[in-house]
Amino acid sequence: MNLVVNGKNTDITDGLTVSELLTKEDVKMPQMVSVELNGKILKRSEFETTRLRADDKVEFLYYMGGGTCL
Amino acid sequence: MKADTLAVHGGFAGDGGSGASAVPICQTVSYAYNTAQALADAFAGRAPGYIYTRIANPTTTALESRLTEFEDGIGCIATSSGMAAIASAVMALVKAGDEIIAAAGIFGGTVSLFENTLTRFGVKTTFVDVADTSNFADALNDKTKLIFIETIGNPRMDVPDIPAVAEIAHKAGIPLIVDNTVTTPVVFKPGEFGADIVVHSTSKFINGHGTAIGGAIIDAGNYNWREGPFDQIKNLSQRVGQLAFLWYLRNVIYRDLGGCPAPMNSFLLLQGLETLPGRMAKHCENAEKLAQFLQSHPNVSWVNYPGLKTSKFHDRVTKLFAGRASGLLTFGLGNKEKAFEFIDSLRLAKNQANLGDAKTLVLHPASTIFGEFDADELGPMGVTAEMVRVSVGIEDFEDIKADFEQAIERAFKEKE
Repeated sequence: MNLVVNGKNTDITDGLTVSELLTKEDVKMPQMVSVELNGKILKRSEFETTRLRADDKVEFLYYMGGGTCL
Repeated sequence: MKADTLAVHGGFAGDGGSGASAVPICQTVSYAYNTAQALADAFAGRAPGYIYTRIANPTTTALESRLTEFEDGIGCIATSSGMAAIASAVMALVKAGDEIIAAAGIFGGTVSLFENTLTRFGVKTTFVDVADTSNFADALNDKTKLIFIETIGNPRMDVPDIPAVAEIAHKAGIPLIVDNTVTTPVVFKPGEFGADIVVHSTSKFINGHGTAIGGAIIDAGNYNWREGPFDQIKNLSQRVGQLAFLWYLRNVIYRDLGGCPAPMNSFLLLQGLETLPGRMAKHCENAEKLAQFLQSHPNVSWVNYPGLKTSKFHDRVTKLFAGRASGLLTFGLGNKEKAFEFIDSLRLAKNQANLGDAKTLVLHPASTIFGEFDADELGPMGVTAEMVRVSVGIEDFEDIKADFEQAIERAFKEKE
Protein backbone atom coordinates (compact mmCIF):
# COMPACT_ATOMS: atom_id res chain seq x y z
CA MET A 1 0.00 0.00 0.00
CA ASN A 2 1.01 3.62 -0.42
CA LEU A 3 2.00 6.05 2.33
CA VAL A 4 3.17 9.65 2.13
CA VAL A 5 6.37 9.83 4.18
CA ASN A 6 7.91 13.28 4.54
CA GLY A 7 5.96 14.35 1.47
CA LYS A 8 7.08 11.43 -0.75
CA ASN A 9 5.00 8.45 -1.87
CA THR A 10 6.35 5.29 -0.26
CA ASP A 11 5.23 1.70 -0.85
CA ILE A 12 4.99 -0.42 2.31
CA THR A 13 3.68 -3.81 3.38
CA ASP A 14 0.11 -3.80 4.69
CA GLY A 15 -0.24 -3.67 8.47
CA LEU A 16 3.19 -2.19 9.19
CA THR A 17 3.50 -0.49 12.59
CA VAL A 18 5.14 2.90 13.11
CA SER A 19 8.09 1.18 14.86
CA GLU A 20 8.55 -1.09 11.86
CA LEU A 21 8.38 1.88 9.50
CA LEU A 22 11.16 3.62 11.46
CA THR A 23 13.36 0.55 10.93
CA LYS A 24 12.37 0.13 7.27
CA GLU A 25 13.12 3.76 6.48
CA ASP A 26 16.39 3.57 8.47
CA VAL A 27 15.44 6.76 10.28
CA LYS A 28 18.37 8.67 11.71
CA MET A 29 18.62 8.95 15.50
CA PRO A 30 15.38 7.03 16.18
CA GLN A 31 15.59 7.91 19.88
CA MET A 32 15.20 11.57 18.93
CA VAL A 33 12.56 11.35 16.23
CA SER A 34 8.97 12.41 16.71
CA VAL A 35 6.36 10.92 14.40
CA GLU A 36 3.43 12.95 13.15
CA LEU A 37 0.65 10.80 11.71
CA ASN A 38 -2.02 12.68 9.74
CA GLY A 39 -1.24 15.90 11.60
CA LYS A 40 -1.10 14.47 15.13
CA ILE A 41 2.10 13.70 17.06
CA LEU A 42 2.10 10.12 18.29
CA LYS A 43 3.12 9.29 21.84
CA ARG A 44 6.21 7.08 21.90
CA SER A 45 4.16 4.37 23.58
CA GLU A 46 1.95 4.28 20.47
CA PHE A 47 4.79 3.52 18.02
CA GLU A 48 4.50 -0.24 18.44
CA THR A 49 0.72 -0.39 18.54
CA THR A 50 -0.16 2.01 15.73
CA ARG A 51 -0.66 0.25 12.40
CA LEU A 52 -0.42 2.35 9.27
CA ARG A 53 -3.23 2.55 6.73
CA ALA A 54 -3.20 3.33 3.03
CA ASP A 55 -2.61 7.00 2.19
CA ASP A 56 -1.60 7.92 5.75
CA LYS A 57 0.64 10.98 5.90
CA VAL A 58 3.70 10.40 8.08
CA GLU A 59 6.29 13.03 8.99
CA PHE A 60 9.53 12.30 10.82
CA LEU A 61 10.30 15.41 12.86
CA TYR A 62 13.13 16.46 15.17
CA TYR A 63 13.29 19.28 17.68
CA MET A 64 16.86 18.64 18.74
CA GLY A 65 17.83 21.78 16.93
CA GLY A 66 20.56 23.21 14.85
CA GLY A 67 22.63 26.27 15.50
CA THR A 68 21.20 28.42 12.74
CA CYS A 69 19.03 31.37 13.64
CA LEU A 70 15.53 31.45 12.23
CA MET B 1 4.78 0.51 30.53
CA LYS B 2 3.59 1.14 34.09
CA ALA B 3 5.23 3.90 36.15
CA ASP B 4 7.50 1.56 38.17
CA THR B 5 8.90 0.04 34.95
CA LEU B 6 9.09 3.33 33.08
CA ALA B 7 11.06 4.84 35.93
CA VAL B 8 13.84 2.30 35.39
CA HIS B 9 13.71 1.65 31.64
CA GLY B 10 12.09 4.74 30.06
CA GLY B 11 13.99 6.79 27.49
CA PHE B 12 17.07 4.58 27.29
CA ALA B 13 17.34 1.10 25.86
CA GLY B 14 20.99 0.56 26.76
CA ASP B 15 24.15 1.73 25.03
CA GLY B 16 24.62 -0.33 21.89
CA GLY B 17 28.35 0.38 21.76
CA SER B 18 29.50 -0.47 25.26
CA GLY B 19 26.52 -2.39 26.63
CA ALA B 20 26.24 0.05 29.54
CA SER B 21 22.80 -0.22 31.11
CA ALA B 22 23.17 2.98 33.15
CA VAL B 23 22.85 6.08 30.98
CA PRO B 24 26.40 7.18 30.05
CA ILE B 25 27.41 10.71 31.02
CA CYS B 26 28.39 12.48 27.80
CA GLN B 27 30.53 15.15 29.38
CA THR B 28 31.29 17.06 26.22
CA VAL B 29 30.74 20.57 24.95
CA SER B 30 30.41 19.78 21.27
CA TYR B 31 30.38 16.95 18.72
CA ALA B 32 32.77 16.19 15.86
CA TYR B 33 31.55 15.55 12.30
CA ASN B 34 33.50 13.76 9.59
CA THR B 35 32.79 16.29 6.88
CA ALA B 36 32.16 20.03 6.66
CA GLN B 37 28.92 19.28 4.79
CA ALA B 38 27.64 16.99 7.57
CA LEU B 39 28.10 19.71 10.20
CA ALA B 40 26.58 22.32 7.87
CA ASP B 41 23.53 20.03 7.43
CA ALA B 42 23.16 19.63 11.19
CA PHE B 43 23.38 23.39 11.69
CA ALA B 44 20.76 23.99 9.01
CA GLY B 45 18.45 21.38 10.55
CA ARG B 46 18.58 19.29 7.35
CA ALA B 47 19.90 16.31 9.31
CA PRO B 48 19.47 15.48 12.99
CA GLY B 49 22.60 15.56 15.07
CA TYR B 50 24.15 16.91 18.23
CA ILE B 51 26.03 20.17 17.77
CA TYR B 52 26.60 21.85 21.09
CA THR B 53 25.52 20.84 24.61
CA ARG B 54 23.78 24.20 25.20
CA ILE B 55 21.27 22.97 22.59
CA ALA B 56 21.20 19.19 23.13
CA ASN B 57 23.26 16.42 24.76
CA PRO B 58 22.80 12.61 24.66
CA THR B 59 22.60 12.20 28.46
CA THR B 60 20.06 14.98 28.63
CA THR B 61 18.16 13.41 25.70
CA ALA B 62 17.67 10.26 27.78
CA LEU B 63 16.30 12.38 30.65
CA GLU B 64 14.00 14.26 28.27
CA SER B 65 12.71 11.01 26.75
CA ARG B 66 12.03 9.47 30.16
CA LEU B 67 10.19 12.59 31.34
CA THR B 68 8.17 12.69 28.10
CA GLU B 69 7.06 9.11 28.71
CA PHE B 70 6.32 9.79 32.39
CA GLU B 71 4.08 12.75 31.55
CA ASP B 72 2.70 11.01 28.45
CA GLY B 73 3.59 14.11 26.45
CA ILE B 74 4.88 14.67 22.92
CA GLY B 75 8.31 15.98 23.91
CA CYS B 76 10.43 17.56 26.61
CA ILE B 77 13.25 20.03 27.00
CA ALA B 78 15.31 19.69 30.17
CA THR B 79 16.69 22.87 31.70
CA SER B 80 19.32 23.87 34.23
CA SER B 81 16.70 24.64 36.91
CA GLY B 82 12.97 24.86 37.49
CA MET B 83 13.14 28.63 37.14
CA ALA B 84 14.94 28.25 33.79
CA ALA B 85 12.07 25.99 32.69
CA ILE B 86 9.38 28.47 33.73
CA ALA B 87 11.23 31.49 32.34
CA SER B 88 11.89 29.74 29.01
CA ALA B 89 8.36 28.37 28.58
CA VAL B 90 6.73 31.71 29.43
CA MET B 91 9.16 33.84 27.41
CA ALA B 92 8.48 31.67 24.37
CA LEU B 93 4.86 32.80 24.54
CA VAL B 94 4.73 36.41 25.74
CA LYS B 95 5.93 39.76 24.45
CA ALA B 96 5.68 43.32 25.73
CA GLY B 97 2.05 44.33 26.20
CA ASP B 98 0.84 40.77 26.91
CA GLU B 99 -0.67 39.57 30.17
CA ILE B 100 -0.53 36.41 32.27
CA ILE B 101 -3.02 35.04 34.78
CA ALA B 102 -1.35 33.11 37.59
CA ALA B 103 -2.55 31.36 40.71
CA ALA B 104 -1.97 33.23 43.97
CA GLY B 105 0.12 31.38 46.53
CA ILE B 106 2.61 29.81 44.13
CA PHE B 107 6.39 29.51 44.54
CA GLY B 108 8.03 32.83 45.47
CA GLY B 109 10.63 32.52 42.71
CA THR B 110 7.88 32.32 40.11
CA VAL B 111 6.06 35.27 41.69
CA SER B 112 9.30 37.28 41.51
CA LEU B 113 9.80 36.32 37.85
CA PHE B 114 6.26 37.46 37.00
CA GLU B 115 6.08 40.52 39.26
CA ASN B 116 9.60 41.89 39.04
CA THR B 117 11.43 40.60 35.98
CA LEU B 118 8.67 40.23 33.39
CA THR B 119 7.10 43.53 34.45
CA ARG B 120 10.34 45.24 33.38
CA PHE B 121 9.79 43.74 29.93
CA GLY B 122 6.21 45.02 29.70
CA VAL B 123 4.37 41.82 30.68
CA LYS B 124 1.71 42.14 33.40
CA THR B 125 0.53 39.30 35.65
CA THR B 126 -2.75 39.10 37.54
CA PHE B 127 -2.76 36.70 40.49
CA VAL B 128 -6.07 35.04 41.36
CA ASP B 129 -7.36 32.91 44.22
CA VAL B 130 -7.81 29.36 42.89
CA ALA B 131 -10.50 28.36 45.38
CA ASP B 132 -13.11 30.01 43.13
CA THR B 133 -12.37 28.91 39.57
CA SER B 134 -14.48 31.72 38.09
CA ASN B 135 -11.69 34.12 39.16
CA PHE B 136 -9.67 32.89 36.17
CA ALA B 137 -12.46 33.70 33.70
CA ASP B 138 -13.03 37.09 35.35
CA ALA B 139 -9.35 38.03 34.97
CA LEU B 140 -9.21 37.22 31.24
CA ASN B 141 -8.89 39.96 28.66
CA ASP B 142 -7.77 40.13 25.04
CA LYS B 143 -4.15 40.64 26.11
CA THR B 144 -4.02 37.42 28.17
CA LYS B 145 -1.65 34.93 26.54
CA LEU B 146 -1.44 32.14 29.11
CA ILE B 147 -2.62 30.84 32.48
CA PHE B 148 -0.05 29.53 34.96
CA ILE B 149 -0.89 27.34 37.98
CA GLU B 150 0.77 24.83 40.31
CA THR B 151 -0.88 21.47 41.02
CA ILE B 152 -0.46 22.16 44.72
CA GLY B 153 0.54 25.76 45.39
CA ASN B 154 3.77 26.05 47.34
CA PRO B 155 3.43 27.22 50.09
CA ARG B 156 -0.30 28.08 50.16
CA MET B 157 -1.21 24.44 49.46
CA ASP B 158 -4.14 25.48 47.26
CA VAL B 159 -5.29 22.95 44.68
CA PRO B 160 -6.86 24.44 41.54
CA ASP B 161 -9.69 22.67 39.71
CA ILE B 162 -7.24 21.95 36.88
CA PRO B 163 -9.71 20.58 34.26
CA ALA B 164 -12.00 23.60 34.81
CA VAL B 165 -9.08 26.06 34.50
CA ALA B 166 -7.97 24.26 31.31
CA GLU B 167 -11.46 24.67 29.88
CA ILE B 168 -11.38 28.41 30.61
CA ALA B 169 -7.97 28.74 28.94
CA HIS B 170 -9.01 26.75 25.88
CA LYS B 171 -12.25 28.72 25.43
CA ALA B 172 -10.04 31.82 25.31
CA GLY B 173 -7.71 30.08 22.83
CA ILE B 174 -4.67 30.25 25.13
CA PRO B 175 -2.53 27.52 26.75
CA LEU B 176 -2.52 26.40 30.37
CA ILE B 177 0.92 25.88 31.94
CA VAL B 178 0.93 23.63 35.00
CA ASP B 179 3.86 23.32 37.40
CA ASN B 180 3.83 19.65 38.45
CA THR B 181 6.86 19.84 40.77
CA VAL B 182 5.04 19.02 44.00
CA THR B 183 2.87 16.18 42.71
CA THR B 184 5.17 14.69 40.00
CA PRO B 185 3.73 12.50 37.22
CA VAL B 186 3.60 9.59 39.68
CA VAL B 187 0.72 11.27 41.51
CA PHE B 188 -0.77 13.35 38.69
CA LYS B 189 -0.35 13.86 34.96
CA PRO B 190 -1.63 17.37 34.16
CA GLY B 191 -1.81 16.59 30.43
CA GLU B 192 -4.53 14.02 31.06
CA PHE B 193 -6.64 16.78 32.63
CA GLY B 194 -6.23 19.41 29.93
CA ALA B 195 -2.89 21.08 30.69
CA ASP B 196 -0.97 22.11 27.58
CA ILE B 197 2.52 22.61 28.98
CA VAL B 198 3.90 20.93 32.09
CA VAL B 199 6.90 22.39 33.89
CA HIS B 200 9.02 20.97 36.69
CA SER B 201 11.70 21.83 39.10
CA THR B 202 13.36 18.42 38.82
CA SER B 203 15.63 19.41 41.73
CA LYS B 204 12.83 18.38 44.10
CA PHE B 205 11.03 15.01 44.23
CA ILE B 206 12.37 13.85 40.85
CA ASN B 207 15.98 14.25 41.96
CA GLY B 208 14.95 13.20 45.44
CA HIS B 209 18.37 13.30 47.01
CA GLY B 210 19.31 16.97 46.96
CA THR B 211 22.18 16.37 44.55
CA ALA B 212 21.31 18.25 41.34
CA ILE B 213 19.43 21.37 40.26
CA GLY B 214 17.26 20.88 37.18
CA GLY B 215 14.03 21.67 35.40
CA ALA B 216 11.90 20.48 32.52
CA ILE B 217 9.28 21.66 30.04
CA ILE B 218 6.94 19.04 28.56
CA ASP B 219 4.48 19.69 25.75
CA ALA B 220 1.46 17.58 26.69
CA GLY B 221 0.20 17.64 23.09
CA ASN B 222 -3.17 19.24 23.85
CA TYR B 223 -2.67 22.73 22.41
CA ASN B 224 -3.01 23.27 18.68
CA TRP B 225 0.00 25.43 17.79
CA ARG B 226 -1.30 25.76 14.22
CA GLU B 227 -3.85 28.14 15.71
CA GLY B 228 -3.65 30.52 18.66
CA PRO B 229 -2.16 33.97 19.10
CA PHE B 230 1.54 33.02 18.86
CA ASP B 231 2.65 34.04 15.37
CA GLN B 232 6.29 33.01 15.99
CA ILE B 233 5.12 29.45 16.72
CA LYS B 234 2.17 29.33 14.32
CA ASN B 235 4.48 30.05 11.38
CA LEU B 236 6.83 27.26 12.46
CA SER B 237 3.97 24.77 12.72
CA GLN B 238 3.75 24.78 8.93
CA ARG B 239 7.20 23.15 8.94
CA VAL B 240 7.26 21.07 12.10
CA GLY B 241 3.56 20.64 12.93
CA GLN B 242 2.67 20.11 16.56
CA LEU B 243 6.34 20.20 17.58
CA ALA B 244 6.40 23.93 16.85
CA PHE B 245 6.47 25.03 20.50
CA LEU B 246 9.31 22.67 21.43
CA TRP B 247 11.15 23.51 18.22
CA TYR B 248 10.85 27.24 18.95
CA LEU B 249 12.08 26.68 22.48
CA ARG B 250 15.04 24.55 21.42
CA ASN B 251 16.16 26.74 18.56
CA VAL B 252 15.37 30.19 19.92
CA ILE B 253 14.52 30.82 23.59
CA TYR B 254 16.32 27.90 25.23
CA ARG B 255 19.30 28.32 22.96
CA ASP B 256 19.43 32.08 23.47
CA LEU B 257 18.96 32.08 27.25
CA GLY B 258 21.44 29.24 27.76
CA GLY B 259 19.56 27.36 30.48
CA CYS B 260 20.85 23.89 29.59
CA PRO B 261 21.55 21.27 32.26
CA ALA B 262 25.03 19.90 32.91
CA PRO B 263 25.24 16.29 31.63
CA MET B 264 26.24 15.11 35.12
CA ASN B 265 23.05 16.64 36.52
CA SER B 266 20.94 14.95 33.84
CA PHE B 267 22.49 11.65 34.94
CA LEU B 268 21.69 12.34 38.62
CA LEU B 269 18.11 13.26 37.70
CA LEU B 270 17.74 10.02 35.72
CA GLN B 271 18.95 8.13 38.79
CA GLY B 272 16.36 9.95 40.87
CA LEU B 273 13.57 9.08 38.45
CA GLU B 274 14.34 5.37 38.85
CA THR B 275 13.08 5.37 42.45
CA LEU B 276 10.47 8.13 42.16
CA PRO B 277 7.33 5.92 42.29
CA GLY B 278 8.42 4.17 45.49
CA ARG B 279 9.55 7.39 47.13
CA MET B 280 6.35 9.28 46.25
CA ALA B 281 4.23 6.57 47.87
CA LYS B 282 6.22 6.94 51.09
CA HIS B 283 6.25 10.78 50.95
CA CYS B 284 2.45 10.79 50.62
CA GLU B 285 1.95 8.23 53.38
CA ASN B 286 4.29 9.95 55.86
CA ALA B 287 2.92 13.44 55.10
CA GLU B 288 -0.65 12.34 55.71
CA LYS B 289 0.31 10.74 59.03
CA LEU B 290 2.35 13.79 60.09
CA ALA B 291 -0.50 16.15 59.15
CA GLN B 292 -2.90 14.10 61.28
CA PHE B 293 -0.44 14.01 64.19
CA LEU B 294 0.13 17.78 64.06
CA GLN B 295 -3.60 18.46 63.74
CA SER B 296 -4.20 16.60 66.99
CA HIS B 297 -1.34 18.36 68.85
CA PRO B 298 -2.55 20.97 71.38
CA ASN B 299 0.31 23.41 70.68
CA VAL B 300 -0.20 23.48 66.90
CA SER B 301 -2.54 26.32 65.85
CA TRP B 302 -3.36 24.99 62.40
CA VAL B 303 -2.19 22.49 59.76
CA ASN B 304 -2.45 23.05 56.02
CA TYR B 305 -2.28 19.81 54.07
CA PRO B 306 -4.74 19.35 51.19
CA GLY B 307 -4.94 15.63 51.92
CA LEU B 308 -6.63 16.27 55.27
CA LYS B 309 -10.39 15.75 55.25
CA THR B 310 -10.76 19.18 56.86
CA SER B 311 -9.03 20.91 53.92
CA LYS B 312 -11.27 22.83 51.55
CA PHE B 313 -9.28 21.25 48.73
CA HIS B 314 -9.79 17.65 49.88
CA ASP B 315 -12.43 16.95 47.22
CA ARG B 316 -10.05 18.09 44.46
CA VAL B 317 -7.25 15.94 45.93
CA THR B 318 -9.61 12.97 45.81
CA LYS B 319 -10.80 13.71 42.28
CA LEU B 320 -7.47 14.67 40.69
CA PHE B 321 -4.77 12.95 42.74
CA ALA B 322 -6.65 9.82 43.86
CA GLY B 323 -6.35 11.07 47.44
CA ARG B 324 -2.55 11.42 47.44
CA ALA B 325 -1.51 14.96 48.37
CA SER B 326 2.28 14.61 48.07
CA GLY B 327 4.80 15.31 50.82
CA LEU B 328 4.50 19.01 51.54
CA LEU B 329 2.61 20.65 54.41
CA THR B 330 2.65 23.79 56.51
CA PHE B 331 1.63 24.39 60.10
CA GLY B 332 1.47 27.21 62.64
CA LEU B 333 3.02 27.44 66.09
CA GLY B 334 1.52 30.71 67.30
CA ASN B 335 4.33 33.11 66.48
CA LYS B 336 7.73 33.48 64.79
CA GLU B 337 9.69 32.85 68.00
CA LYS B 338 8.00 29.48 68.59
CA ALA B 339 8.56 28.56 64.94
CA PHE B 340 12.27 29.38 65.25
CA GLU B 341 12.60 27.50 68.56
CA PHE B 342 10.89 24.48 67.03
CA ILE B 343 13.25 24.49 64.03
CA ASP B 344 16.30 24.94 66.27
CA SER B 345 15.20 21.98 68.41
CA LEU B 346 14.84 19.44 65.61
CA ARG B 347 17.40 16.64 65.67
CA LEU B 348 16.51 14.59 62.60
CA ALA B 349 14.81 17.01 60.19
CA LYS B 350 17.08 19.48 58.41
CA ASN B 351 16.50 23.24 58.21
CA GLN B 352 17.13 24.00 54.58
CA ALA B 353 15.63 25.67 51.51
CA ASN B 354 14.62 22.67 49.44
CA LEU B 355 11.78 20.20 49.19
CA GLY B 356 11.21 16.73 47.82
CA ASP B 357 14.39 15.34 49.36
CA ALA B 358 14.38 11.81 50.78
CA LYS B 359 15.19 13.49 54.11
CA THR B 360 12.59 15.47 56.05
CA LEU B 361 13.27 19.19 55.61
CA VAL B 362 11.78 22.20 57.36
CA LEU B 363 11.87 25.89 56.57
CA HIS B 364 10.56 29.18 57.93
CA PRO B 365 9.31 30.67 54.63
CA ALA B 366 8.60 34.24 55.85
CA SER B 367 12.25 34.86 56.81
CA THR B 368 13.87 32.89 53.96
CA ILE B 369 12.41 32.16 50.52
CA PHE B 370 9.77 34.88 50.98
CA GLY B 371 12.09 37.27 52.83
CA GLU B 372 12.11 39.72 49.90
CA PHE B 373 8.35 40.36 50.19
CA ASP B 374 6.68 42.88 52.52
CA ALA B 375 4.26 41.77 55.22
CA ASP B 376 1.24 43.00 53.23
CA GLU B 377 2.38 40.98 50.21
CA LEU B 378 2.85 37.79 52.24
CA GLY B 379 -0.82 37.40 53.21
CA PRO B 380 -2.11 36.64 49.70
CA MET B 381 0.82 34.28 49.22
CA GLY B 382 -0.32 32.29 52.24
CA VAL B 383 2.83 33.04 54.25
CA THR B 384 2.69 34.04 57.91
CA ALA B 385 5.35 34.62 60.57
CA GLU B 386 4.23 31.60 62.62
CA MET B 387 4.32 29.22 59.65
CA VAL B 388 6.73 26.31 59.27
CA ARG B 389 6.92 24.43 55.96
CA VAL B 390 7.71 20.74 56.05
CA SER B 391 8.84 18.55 53.20
CA VAL B 392 8.14 15.16 54.69
CA GLY B 393 10.83 12.61 53.90
CA ILE B 394 10.81 8.85 53.53
CA GLU B 395 12.28 7.99 56.95
CA ASP B 396 10.36 5.69 59.29
CA PHE B 397 7.32 7.71 60.34
CA GLU B 398 7.77 6.98 64.04
CA ASP B 399 11.21 8.65 63.95
CA ILE B 400 9.81 11.76 62.19
CA LYS B 401 6.96 11.95 64.68
CA ALA B 402 9.27 11.57 67.68
CA ASP B 403 11.52 14.35 66.34
CA PHE B 404 8.59 16.74 65.82
CA GLU B 405 7.09 15.81 69.21
CA GLN B 406 10.27 16.60 71.12
CA ALA B 407 10.95 19.81 69.14
CA ILE B 408 7.44 21.18 69.77
CA GLU B 409 7.79 20.29 73.44
CA ARG B 410 11.11 22.12 73.68
CA ALA B 411 9.80 25.15 71.80
CA PHE B 412 6.97 25.56 74.28
CA LYS B 413 8.91 24.53 77.38
CA GLU B 414 11.62 27.17 76.98
CA LYS B 415 9.07 29.99 77.10
CA GLU B 416 7.48 28.86 80.36
